[in-house]
This record gives sequence, C-alpha cells and structure tokens, in this order.
Amino acid sequence: MTQMWTGAVSALRSVRRAGTAGLMGLVVGAAVAATPIAGADAKNSFVFANSSAYDTMDPHAVFDVGRVAYRINLYDGLMRWQDNPPKLNLWLAESYDISEDGLTYTFKLRPGAKFHDGSEIEASDVVYSIERILAMKKGAASLFIGTVEPGSTKAIDKHTVEFNLSKPSAIFMATVPEIHVVNADLVKANEKDGDWGAAWLSTNDAGSGSFELKRYDPAKGFQAARFEDHFMGWGEKYLDEIEFRTVVEINSRVLGLIKGDFQGSDGYMPQDQIIRLRKSDNVVVEEQESMRIFYSIIHNGRAPMNDINFRKALSYAFDYDGFINNILSGSVARNPGPLPNNIWGAPADLKGYTYDLEKAKEYLAKVKGPIPEITIGALAGYGQTEQAAALLQNGLTKIGIKSKIVAEPWPVASGKMRDEQQMYDLLFLWKSTYYADPNNWVGEMYDSANIGARNNSWYSNPEVDKLLHEAQVTTDQAVREANYAKAATIVTEDAAGIFIYNTKWFGPITKRAKGFRFSPIGNGQEMRWVYYD
Amino acid sequence: MKLLVLILNRFFWFFPTILGLMVITFTISHVIPADPVAFVAGDNATNEQIEALRAELGLDQPIHVQLYRYVIDVFQGNFGQSLYTQRPIADDLAGRVPATLELTFVAVLLSAAIGIPLGVISAVNRNSLLDHALRLFTVSGLAIAAFWLAILLQLLFAMELGWTPLQGRVDGWGPDEITGFYLIDSLITGDFEVFWSALAHMVLPALTLAFPAMATIVRFTRAGVLEAINSNYVMYEEAMGFPRRVIVWKYVLRNALIGTVTQIGLIFGILIANAVVVEAVFDWPGLGLYAVQSILQSDYNAIMGFTVVAGVIFIIVNLIVDVAHGFIDPRESR
Repeated sequence: MTQMWTGAVSALRSVRRAGTAGLMGLVVGAAVAATPIAGADAKNSFVFANSSAYDTMDPHAVFDVGRVAYRINLYDGLMRWQDNPPKLNLWLAESYDISEDGLTYTFKLRPGAKFHDGSEIEASDVVYSIERILAMKKGAASLFIGTVEPGSTKAIDKHTVEFNLSKPSAIFMATVPEIHVVNADLVKANEKDGDWGAAWLSTNDAGSGSFELKRYDPAKGFQAARFEDHFMGWGEKYLDEIEFRTVVEINSRVLGLIKGDFQGSDGYMPQDQIIRLRKSDNVVVEEQESMRIFYSIIHNGRAPMNDINFRKALSYAFDYDGFINNILSGSVARNPGPLPNNIWGAPADLKGYTYDLEKAKEYLAKVKGPIPEITIGALAGYGQTEQAAALLQNGLTKIGIKSKIVAEPWPVASGKMRDEQQMYDLLFLWKSTYYADPNNWVGEMYDSANIGARNNSWYSNPEVDKLLHEAQVTTDQAVREANYAKAATIVTEDAAGIFIYNTKWFGPITKRAKGFRFSPIGNGQEMRWVYYD
Repeated sequence: MKLLVLILNRFFWFFPTILGLMVITFTISHVIPADPVAFVAGDNATNEQIEALRAELGLDQPIHVQLYRYVIDVFQGNFGQSLYTQRPIADDLAGRVPATLELTFVAVLLSAAIGIPLGVISAVNRNSLLDHALRLFTVSGLAIAAFWLAILLQLLFAMELGWTPLQGRVDGWGPDEITGFYLIDSLITGDFEVFWSALAHMVLPALTLAFPAMATIVRFTRAGVLEAINSNYVMYEEAMGFPRRVIVWKYVLRNALIGTVTQIGLIFGILIANAVVVEAVFDWPGLGLYAVQSILQSDYNAIMGFTVVAGVIFIIVNLIVDVAHGFIDPRESR
C-alpha cells in the first residue's frame, strides 16, 4: 500500500514538472472566476430564447411561426394581425379601399413613415416588395402566386399603392400583413446577378420596424436596438434592446429562464417543463388559446378509408379525453372540428366525436370487405404525434383492426403527403396559422382544388367545394362566416379527419416584464409593447 | 526522408479520399426520400410551384449530373449556397469551424493532459486499489451518455453552485474575429474580460467532451506502459540503478505513447462527431448544430460542405499524428 501511494505521489510530482497541471489549474481557475454576470437586466434589454435557428434575416425567404420574430420586429407590413383572437389592424397603411368587384385593393400609406436609414417609405417600396416575393417564390409567396400577377401592382402616387388581383380573393386582406416592406433603394443597391438582393438581405436589415438590427450571427441569433423614429411612436416605457437567441434544447431554455439569463422563450413546451417554470420566482407563464389544431389526416382516397363508416369507426376509436387530460395534463383545449374554436366561422354547436368503442364497432360492421392493416403515420421527434398514434393503435386493436405505426421526420413525411400512393393511411400532425382566416384551415385542407398540395386527405365533396369557393371570393362577411361554419360541420360529419385539440400557448416570461401582447400570428413575439416596470 | 515520403503520400491520397467521401455522402443525402424543395417552397405551395423551383435549383437533373457539377464546383473552391438562406455555404462554415475546433482542441488537450498521467499511474500500480478505482472511473467515462453528463454538469455547476455559465460560447457577442478562436482572439486584442468569459463558457462543454476521450487515453496509455515496462531495456535500466521515475516518465512513456497518439488522432474525429450532442446542450455555435439543422432540412449543399470540411480536418489531424510518431519514435522518420 505504502509503495503504491509513494508511486502515485511521485508520479503526480512528475506530472507537475511536465507542466500539465498548469492547464488543469487554469480550467479550475476559470470556473471559479466566472462569477455570475449581471445579465441583460441593467441595460433594459430583453433576451428571448428561441428553439428555431435564425438562419436568415430575409423577411421574404421564410414564412414560419418559429422564426417570426425578425419579420415582425424589424419589418412592417401595410396591415398587422394583433391580439387574441387576432384582429387585422391598420399598420403602415392609414386607410384602404376595396373595389366592388373585389379585384382592386388600394392602400394609403402613412406619410412620413421612415425606414431605418431615414428615407421615407413610399408606394414604390411596397411594389418592389410584392414583386420581390413573387420573384423569389419562397416563404409567403405561395399565398400570392395565382392571385397577384407580377407587374400588376401599381404605385399610383408617392403614398398610394394599388393591388390588382387576377381573381377575387376574400383571403387577400388576411395575407397582406405578410408583405413585409423592404427599402427598395437599399436592396437594389445590393443586388447581385439579379438575385433581388437575396444574399445581402439574408444577413442585413432593410426594414422600418420597431427595432433595428445591430448584430446578427446565423449560429447564435440577432440583437436589435429600438428604432426611435418608428411611425407608430413610442409609449413612456419600452425596451431599448431585444435579443433573440437560438437555444435548441428545451432544458437549456428552461434553466436559463429560471436562472435569469433569458427573459422569455417560445411557448410550445411540454407540460412538465411548464410546471417546472411555474415554480420559479423569476418567471410567469402566460396562457392563451392559440390557433394550431392537432389532428390526424385520413387518406379519404384509399380503401377502406374511402368508406364513411370506416372513418367514423376510426373517429370513435380515439381516446380524446385520455389524450388531452392524462397524456397532456389538460394543457390543450378539445377541438372537435377542422376550425380552431376561437376563429370566427367555427361552428359553435359542433358535437364531434367521443371515445366510444361500441359505436366504433357498430360503424365497423357496416364496412364491406376485409380490412387490411392500417398504417398510422407520426412525425419523428414530435413525441405527441407518436403518443397519439400509439393511443389510436390501442383503440383500433380493441375493435379488431390491425395497424402499424410509422414515425418519419418531417421532410420525409411532407414529401409523402403530396403523393397519393405514398401517403400514409393516417398521419398525426398540427395545422398552424399562416393567415388568420377560416380558409387557412378548412379551405386549404378540404378544398378538392388543393388535392395533393394542401389537401392531403384526397377528400372531395362537391357541396363543401361550393361553400368554400363562394367564401373565397365574396366580400360579404356574413356569407363567409356561414359558409365556413357549414363546410366545417360537413367535414366533421364526413369524419374526413380525426380532430383532436387546439393548442394552448404557455409563454414563459420574466416577472418584471409588462405590456405583453399575444397574437397567434406573431407567436407573442412582437416586442414593441413590452417594458419593465 | 521517410517523413517526407509519408507527407507526399498523404497528399497524393488526399484528393481521391475527399472525392470518395463526397460521392458517398452525396448519394446518401440525395436518395433518402426527403424533399427539401417542398420544404423550401413552403407549406402552401402548389405542386407546379414546387416543380418550377426544383428546376430552378437544378435538382431535377439526374443524380450523376448533379454530383459531377458539385464535385467540379468544390474543387474550384465553391461550396455552393444553402437552399434555404441563399448564403454561401463557405461563409456559414467559416463562422462555425473555429468554434468547433476550439472546443475540440481544448477537449483533446484536457483529456490527454489528464489521461496520459492517469494511464501511467494505473499501469505502474497495476492491480492495486488505485488501478481498480481508475478503471471504474474510465469505464464510467466510456459508458455515460454525453447529453446526460452535460445536463448534470449544468445542474450542478451552473444552477446549484453558479460557478460556470449555463450555455453559450461567451457573454455578449464575443471578440472581434481574427482567428475565430475566442481564447486566442481575446488575448490578441488584450480583452481579458472576454478571455475569462470564453474560458468559463468552455469549462462544461470541454469537460463533457473530454471525459470519454480521457477514458480511452487512460486505457491505451496503461496498456502501452505495461507492455514497455516488461521489456529488456527497462530491466537493464533498473539493473543499472536508474531512478524509477526517470525510467517510467522518460523511457517507458515515450515508447508507450505511440498507441496513445494514434488514438488521439482518431479521438479527434470522434470528438467532432460527439460535438453534435454537446453543442446542442450548451448552444455552442459550431459545426455540430449546423450539421443537424442541415440534415433535418435536407439542405444538400450544407450537408456536403460539413462532410467535406470534417473530412479534411480529420485527414490533416491524422497527418499531424503520423508526423508526431516520427518525433516520438525516430526510427519511423529515418
């Protein structure tokens, strides 16, 4: 024993001589020296930990909820969706006018509104922005292609811009906020080989938004300072600086919030993490019903799912309460149809389906022919879709239907969804808000004109089509509301999909922050209203 | 002379190796049934819009045509653009390679600095209590999952004790980039506040990464020392009355290190791969996170860029290892 220790000690001595201990000492020293840093609090800034990576700063390149922060904080549109349920408010426009035939939309811009470089926002900038969206064919472009032709938008004068649609579109107004206005002169000066400034704008700011880009690193996120001259003016209290950082691990976001490194984070977190956050003294968790429904697509074009009795059997075989109350601890709201409960047009008295195996068997008995094994698709990495698939599989087994679960990553699933042969029999997923209009859900998902694109159910019902097509062109709000409600009811009665819940949004935010405004479109990330008390 | 031949030989094989790597990765990334074009075009795109975009991006061409174009581009130094951001891949990589390399270098240094002495101690005291304790320690190092260790370290050192930062690479936005290595850049600019901040942020991710690597190094060093210690020259030296420490730390260790150094070269490659997990937990803005993101989105050019760069780093590190062999064992370079 003694010999052993002598050996060890002498060995350690030699190590010290070799100088390697110096490195160990350095590391330990660093650990001790790292006293917690006061954080962002002192400068009146707000650090937001976001799960998605900010891999571009181009407002026309992407169109997802995860990366909405730079679009709504650095850029402005003619109109803006705000609050919950979302209202469409005038923003860069001070007024607008829609022609009788629903084809011409004329917007008057606020005079004197400025871009970050001090130049005035003019109608020509709006024209350039929509042309740029149409030419780049990315992000929100698919909302406008087919409705707005390139070259059709006109700057009537310095402050008047006119959109001339190629066909009447009742959803056009709902999509106008996605036309983020860029500084045309600035972008043009940075165009390269006719790329519409795409390379330059991916890392730079050509906006007019409430905050002005200061630093950007695609690997980390971005930092922006308050733009004093913003046309909406500022209240008495505000944030001087905002920072959105990419923090991919939920655990790191939660720990950072508790520790005070972050003042906010995105609101779609598992319930156990929400509970953890609620225990913290630093954080409050804001709760809102969002507009993001969770459902299962049913392939209506393939046997046996093309039989309404079979689809009803599927709908009665899913344990809705078990899923919502036990698996998700009641953190979501039951949503029986294809429209989120809180959007206008959602049918108020829609009954939907319950977990009732007797009824399921009853409907199953009416299905003719042998029933093959059913493939239930789920999105790999999205635990809820896999849990829902397993729960449905359990219900199906009880009524004697064999099934298998296939979990694949989103890029794979989204490819299969467009192909009638490759599409799964069922697929659990979410439908988010791209524009706050009922058409975003029932219209995109069940219009037979969208089959293979956004209608991944191969569902086709002439009556529904007629209702939807009328609602898509008329400007009569009462007609639109009635039609969407009717269409949603028929789709539910047809059991075209298994409709499960509408998401609740749990936004963790520092206790000191006030003035927070949530909107499902902006995902609660419009920072101009937030201040510290 | 041998050394020169070795280096020339490696250079000769450099291009075929990289070419092979590109062919394999390109084929795999392009045949998996994911469709990045549908993803880029957005959820609301019609099939016509998707096909038009596919043609525009050249992704409608047969795969061998695409591969040929890509290889030509890369050997001209052009990694292409990201499908999503349109930014040049080379710029993206340039911003991230130093972050991963810095972390990996520190982790390798740390694991060698601790692992080699522990290996020697273990061998010298073989089958003693100390040796068994070290074995337990190293086996756990190899067995513990990196993400689990990372989270535990975070909970203890960042949350409970508050000694280290939780995540990130530095407070704020880091020093002006000269080399991209924050520890070096902050010293060059004389900004010690940033230096300490960068070092403090380095501690947990480097420890997480170094732990399993250190375990490997301990095992290899131990084996090497045991083999050398039983050789005739050690017996001779002992008979001549050389002090034991000189025998062990000067003569035995030098002979024993050949295997360890080879292992360090391989570990370097493994660490770059492990960095994916560690970077995710600690939000280290490096290659790992970038690679994961690119793979999930099937951003072909980004995947390829990452693979080629990782391949080049691996080849260079192993060349350095071979040269190091020459210095440790002069017979090899003669």
